[in-house]
Amino acid sequence: MKYLINRRAMLRAGVASSGAMALSAFPATRLFAQEPEKPAQIIVRAWGGEWVESLKRGVSDPFTEATGIQVVHDLTEDNEIQPKIWAAVAQNRTPPIHINWDTTTNATKSALRGVTEDLSDLSNLSNTTDLAKPVGLDGFPIVNTYGYVYVLAYRPEAFPDGPPTSWKDLLDPIFKGRIALYNDGIGFHFPAQVAGGGSLDGIPDDMQPCWDFISQIKEQDPLLGEDPDFTTWFQNGEIDAACTISTNALAARSNGIDIAWTVPEEGCKFDTDGLWIPKGLPENELYWAKQYINFAISPEAQQVWLDGLGLPGVVPGLTPPEGLAGDPSYPTEPEDFEDLIRISSLVQVENESDWFAKFKEIMQG
Amino acid sequence: MAENRDEKFRYPLRWRLMDAAEAVLDIIWPRRFSAWTGWVLLLPAILLVGILVLGLVVIADSSLHVLDRSTFLPSEAYTFENYATIADSATYWRIFWRSGLGALLTVVFTLILAFPFAYILVRTRSALTRKLLLVALFLPFFIGQVVRAYGMLILLGSNGMANEALGLIGVEPLRLLFNFPAVVFGLVQYMLPFAVLMLAPALTGIPQEIETAASSLGANWWRSLWHVVLPMAKPGLVGAGVVVGTLSLTDFAMPAMLGGGSQDFIANAIYDQFFRTADQGLGAALAMLLVLLGSVLVAIVIGLFGAGTMGMGARK
Repeated sequence: MKYLINRRAMLRAGVASSGAMALSAFPATRLFAQEPEKPAQIIVRAWGGEWVESLKRGVSDPFTEATGIQVVHDLTEDNEIQPKIWAAVAQNRTPPIHINWDTTTNATKSALRGVTEDLSDLSNLSNTTDLAKPVGLDGFPIVNTYGYVYVLAYRPEAFPDGPPTSWKDLLDPIFKGRIALYNDGIGFHFPAQVAGGGSLDGIPDDMQPCWDFISQIKEQDPLLGEDPDFTTWFQNGEIDAACTISTNALAARSNGIDIAWTVPEEGCKFDTDGLWIPKGLPENELYWAKQYINFAISPEAQQVWLDGLGLPGVVPGLTPPEGLAGDPSYPTEPEDFEDLIRISSLVQVENESDWFAKFKEIMQG
Repeated sequence: MAENRDEKFRYPLRWRLMDAAEAVLDIIWPRRFSAWTGWVLLLPAILLVGILVLGLVVIADSSLHVLDRSTFLPSEAYTFENYATIADSATYWRIFWRSGLGALLTVVFTLILAFPFAYILVRTRSALTRKLLLVALFLPFFIGQVVRAYGMLILLGSNGMANEALGLIGVEPLRLLFNFPAVVFGLVQYMLPFAVLMLAPALTGIPQEIETAASSLGANWWRSLWHVVLPMAKPGLVGAGVVVGTLSLTDFAMPAMLGGGSQDFIANAIYDQFFRTADQGLGAALAMLLVLLGSVLVAIVIGLFGAGTMGMGARK
C-alpha cells in the first residue's frame, strides 16, 4: 500500500500536532487557571459523515488530549434536538447536550427564546473576524464558526460549453428532471429572487419575483431532497445540477464523482453555522463547554476542522484547503463576498416558515 | 400398575398443575370478587387510553396558541388562528387530499394482493408451500421500514434494476421515484404483511365444507368465491382495510423517502412544523385534524359495516 505524503498533508499534520501541543505542553492547571471540576465527558451535537469526522480531528480529539475530558458526539438532527433542549430548559431540567453545533438560523431561534448561554467572555473571540458575531443579536448567544455557500454544483459533462453562468441556465429543457433543490428550497430563495427579476431589497416584503422563478423551475420537475440525497444523486448520475452546500459538492468529488461548482451571476446564498450552549448546565460543565468552544475558534482547531469541510473559518490567516484558494465557495476577502447574498438571521427566522410554505405550495401543486 | 397408568391418562400432570394454580388464585383472588375481574383486566387498556387522552389534551392546547416569531414562544392567548391558517392554505388542502387518496389506493391495492396470498396460505395442502409463504410473510417484519424504503430507492432509481430491465427491451429510463405512484407502491409493499395477517384468520374461520357445498350445488370457483367466501371474509377484509388505511394515512417514511419532498402526507407536514420551522402550534393543529379525520373515517366504516363486521362485535 502506498501512502501519498504531500505538502498539504504535512501542513495539516503539523498544524494538528502543534495545536495539540499548544494545549498539552502546559499542565492543565496552568492552562485553565482555577479550573472547576472536570466532567467525565461533554456531549456535542454534530452532523454525521465528514462533518463529524472533521470536528473530531480538528477540535474534539485535541480537546480530549489536552483536558482528559471525553467528547461524545450526539448525531441527533439539529432540528430534532431543538425542541428537546427547549423543553428541558422550560422544565428546569439539565439539557441533553452541552454544545449544539447548529445553523445560525436555527441557533437564532434558540437565542430569541432565551435558552442560550452568553459566550462573550471567550478569550479567543478577540482574534476572530466579524463573521463570528451573529448579525442582529446582542452579545454572543451563538459563536459563528465558519461560513458556507449554497453553490450551483454541476456535472461538467452536462455543460460542455462551460460552467453555467446564470441560475436561468437550469431552465433549459435538457435539464428537465435532472436538477435538484433542498426540500424546502433553502439556499435557493434569494438567488431566485434575483433571477426572477427582483432585488434583494425586496426581501422579505416583495418576493414575488422569487416565487415566479421557482414556478418556472418547478416546470423542470426538480428532485427535492436533503444533503445526503445530493451526493447519492450525483453519484448515480441522476442529476446534472443542484443548489447545495459546497461541502456536499466537495464530498461528492472526494468520492470520485466528476463535479464542479460555481457562483452564477445572480449570486449565491452565504450563511454561517455556529456553536452554542443551552442554559441549565451545572457550573463546572458550563465552564468546560465554553472552553471547548473557545478552542474551536483557535487557529489550530479551525485549520484542521475546516480543512476537512473545505469552508472558510472565522480566524484570519487560515490556509485554504488544497484547490480551494480563490474558489468562489471559499470567500475570505471582501471582494469575494460581492457575489454572495447574506441576509440577517433575524429576517430569516421571522420569515423562513412562510418561505418554506410558499416553496412547498409551488412544488406540491 | 395398569390402574395407575389409566389414572394418569385420565388426569394428566398439566391438569393437576392448573388445578393447583386455580386453588392458589382462589385464595389470592376469591371468586366472589369476579364482578371486578373485567375492570381489573381492562386496567392496562384504561391507563393506555388515559395517557393517550392526556397527550391529546396537551396537543389540543398547543394547537390553540400561535407562535410569536420575535421570541419563538407560543402566545399566551387562546386562538383558532392555526386552524384558520390551515383552512386558508391550498397546500394543506392538497396534502390532506393526497394523504386520503394515497391511503384509499393503498387499501385497495393491498387487499387485492393480500387476499389471494392469505387464501393460498390457508387453503394450501402442501406444508412446504405454507412454510414458504409464512417465511415470505414474516421476513419483512425483520426489515425496518426505512431499509425497505431504501431498497425501493435502489430498485426504482433511474439507474436501478427496474430501469435496467426496461432498458433490455429498449425502453428509455423512466422516472419511477419521487412521485405519488412511488409512494403508494412503497406503502402497499409495506402494508401487505399486515393485511395478510388480518385476513388469514378470517379465512381460516370459513369451513371449507361450505365451498364444497357450493361447488356441489353447481357454483364454479369464481361464483363460490364471490358469493360465499368473500361475504364470509368481510370481517377480515374490513379490519385489514381499517388498519392499512389508518397506518397509510399517518405514514411518514414512505412519503419522505419515495415522494422526494414533493409528495408530503400529513405526517410529513406535522414533522416540518414541529421540527423544521419550530411552529409547534401549527403542527399540533395539523395533528388534531389528522386525529379528527382518522376518527371520522373509522366511524364511517363502523357505521357502514358495523363493529361486528370487523370481528369486534359482541358475540351473540
